Amino acid sequence: MFELNEFILKKAKELGFGDVVILTYETNRRQVRFANNEITVAKHWHERKVELFVELEKRIAGTTITELSEENIERTLKMLLGNMKGMSPKEDYYGIAEGPFEYKDIPETFDKAIVELDEPNEYVERAINAALEQGAKRVAGVLYTDHDKVYLTTSNGIEAFDEGTGIEISVRAFIGDLESGHGTNSVRVLKKFDPESAGRKAGEIASLAKNPEQGPEGRFDVIFDPLAFANLLSYMSFMTSAYAAEAGFSPFVNKLGQKVANEIVTIKDVGNLPNGYGSRKFDDEGVPTRKTTIIENGTFKTFLLNTSLARKYKTETTANAGLIMPRAWNIVLEPGEYSREELFGEVKRGIYITNVWYTRFQNYVTGDFSTIPRDGIFLIEDGNLKPIRNIRVSDNLLGILSRIEAMGRESFHIHWWEVRTPVTTPYVLVKDVGITRATK
Amino acid sequence: MHELVEFAVEKALELGADYAEARFEEKNGTSLAMKNGSPEGLEVLADRGIGVRVLVGGGMGFASTNVLTKESVAEGVKRAVKLAKAASRVRNEPIRFSEENFHEVYYEVKMRKDFRDVSPEEKLELLRKIEEEVKATGVNVPMRYLSYSDQVWHKIIANSDGAFIESIIPRVSIMYNLVVFENSQMEQAPFVQRAFSGGLELIEKDEPWEWAVKDVQALKKLIYEGKKPPEGKVDLVISPEVAGIAVHESVGHPYEADRIFGREAAQAGESFVKPDMLGERIGSEVVTVIDDPTIPNSWGFYLYDDEGVKARPRYLIRDGIITEFLTNREYAYKLGQHSNAAARAINYNREPIVRMANTYLAPGDHSFEELIEDVKLGVYMVSFNEWNIDDRRYQQRYIGREAYLIENGEIKHPVRRPILEITTRALWSSVDAVGKEVAFYPGTCGKGEPGQGVPVWMGGAHARLRDIPLRRP
Repeated sequence: MFELNEFILKKAKELGFGDVVILTYETNRRQVRFANNEITVAKHWHERKVELFVELEKRIAGTTITELSEENIERTLKMLLGNMKGMSPKEDYYGIAEGPFEYKDIPETFDKAIVELDEPNEYVERAINAALEQGAKRVAGVLYTDHDKVYLTTSNGIEAFDEGTGIEISVRAFIGDLESGHGTNSVRVLKKFDPESAGRKAGEIASLAKNPEQGPEGRFDVIFDPLAFANLLSYMSFMTSAYAAEAGFSPFVNKLGQKVANEIVTIKDVGNLPNGYGSRKFDDEGVPTRKTTIIENGTFKTFLLNTSLARKYKTETTANAGLIMPRAWNIVLEPGEYSREELFGEVKRGIYITNVWYTRFQNYVTGDFSTIPRDGIFLIEDGNLKPIRNIRVSDNLLGILSRIEAMGRESFHIHWWEVRTPVTTPYVLVKDVGITRATK
Repeated sequence: MHELVEFAVEKALELGADYAEARFEEKNGTSLAMKNGSPEGLEVLADRGIGVRVLVGGGMGFASTNVLTKESVAEGVKRAVKLAKAASRVRNEPIRFSEENFHEVYYEVKMRKDFRDVSPEEKLELLRKIEEEVKATGVNVPMRYLSYSDQVWHKIIANSDGAFIESIIPRVSIMYNLVVFENSQMEQAPFVQRAFSGGLELIEKDEPWEWAVKDVQALKKLIYEGKKPPEGKVDLVISPEVAGIAVHESVGHPYEADRIFGREAAQAGESFVKPDMLGERIGSEVVTVIDDPTIPNSWGFYLYDDEGVKARPRYLIRDGIITEFLTNREYAYKLGQHSNAAARAINYNREPIVRMANTYLAPGDHSFEELIEDVKLGVYMVSFNEWNIDDRRYQQRYIGREAYLIENGEIKHPVRRPILEITTRALWSSVDAVGKEVAFYPGTCGKGEPGQGVPVWMGGAHARLRDIPLRRP
């Protein structure tokens, strides 16, 4: 594939382009979806594509090429050139990273056993059975296997290759219409895959959630399950991109160096996280991925940057390109010191939220939002869990971060349909969370 | 490409499929963005590939490839058949499809001003026009993110039951996010979109810069003159935009048959609606909700769905009664019905699933003045920002962006963030009058795994809701 990249680079330079980045992907992905304890569909995707970024005197353009004949590549480059010549420049474009770099293998991101896995349905059946054993009646979910290769070539002398695998499952177990639980397991190597743990957790929560009553409203101390808190941190990750900040989608605007969270809160983006579902050796311009501390002991330290945005703000890239929009790889909330039992012991009267969805913002710049708990929701009263239903978390993102009171010492890596950027987080206790419900 | 599509269907049958369907999709287009007055660059879309879906022994398999050779497609077909066979062993009952009449059809949406003939710089001018018009208002708008996108969707669908549908649908849209900062306060109009199926003339006629001007002026007025919304039970008049999101979230989604039968349970969720609720009252007599893919130039437009079934308007609620669910062939069979052509896939690499198209609250017999004139104390909610609903589609919330107090039949000062947080049954039972005029607003409806954001319109007429306990922020 590097031959193809080099051909594209050569032709692009011949045509007079300045910065050129070529990312060629070859992906094989499988999916098994299930519902009502049976497989609803099984899928396979095979894709080969070139993502091309070109610059011409500060005018920038990107495209994806899937028909990889020499004629089509030349035609595409000429089309881009023709379109870009009359365009206004992007005045705040400051180039791409200068290579070459050295790349280190990230532990536990490739496993031949996943590539060679013929038939993943057995894992689905194991997850379903684990949930049924906990008392679930209906089990739904999805399993994926991934095998990706990426080849990067840039006009600044960078040539990089990464190959990764993954296997993950998301399981939702139901007893009645209103009693459900959810569990996930996402890993990059087969020997760490534990589909039963996802099924078991989903089944356990569903069983605990029997006969829920209408929940209360007001301000409550809330324990967020890792699945629920990962959702909020995943939304937050987009807002830490410098691009999102400039575009008016971030409450972190003008907050550099300021307190945005309780001082026990440290949040990082880790591009080279071992066994992380979002991990890759290099970003889209070839900078080796690394650990970037976004919030350190409650203080906002940096937006996520690529080289161009870093130069604009006279700092260093955080290795999060996206050539247009920097993005997080794996968000990690540093754990606390509490065992799960100790954390629940801290709450005399509060709410335990096991999952949320449909997080939406009234104002991205102030961070006002709401999100809807789903699956088991429990009123915590003197150490007992009483199932409730139909409540909404109505609060402010920075307010939530500021009111984090305690965290579990064990972390969980979460990646599923509602958590698109992978997040590693413990159980989190937040004080005085706004809870509302329907008025009619 | 026709040959390759036919080859895929034949190959699947040869390998033992009971049913086979192949869909070629090609998308070509451009998108441009402007951030705080600076152009962000050009993105050229050129994507194509083939997806194959089969039934074998009651199991369903799907495979796609963007390597468009006979060998690669044959490999995909082989995989789909193998996956379906394996899946059939983990089924309690086999998947069956409803019987339908299929056609061989070609259709195309014509552009009067073909965006393929317009240079990127000229398209950028549309965004510049928004910049200039917003600036000319004198309102302080420190963060401005504008984007333009056009795409031509070319599809060829064939199945082993005799469908052969080819279509060409151009789509064009503009989106803006504007953050107003006045009097030390920040208000925002995020992700506001104007979008159509057709040519550039539709955007030019719609004048998105006028929408942007109206938005920033309303936000400034809200900052300076906005007061708390009234407390206690009041009447609420919702605009076509708010009615649109409400019908989409609390009527369209829960009436999707795949959700009703649990297929989306682990993702978008199930539904409070059950099959035996057909014929049951869910709203007042003035509430009729229609989903219609065939509205010319609509954002959710199509004439045949991605299973090759001919589209028609679907009456989800008629005079307050649940009358119809949204179905594809799999769930039409389960209901003992014909499909009403709601199967949509966002691209060649996605399976068709049950989706909305253009969902709206059908018009009633009240003028806007008549809706307002006998409201003693109420709120007129013009637009919304935050919204969400639980995964059974029963507890929803919409927070007004632009909203006004209604007092003794007159619209007064702006009110800040009135919150409608209500159950679906209470919402539609509270409507006592519906306006005469219908308007539509575009959106991207999310569902499916992997996600399939499909273009939809949402809208309808104004509606008046009585005795609503509004929540204050």
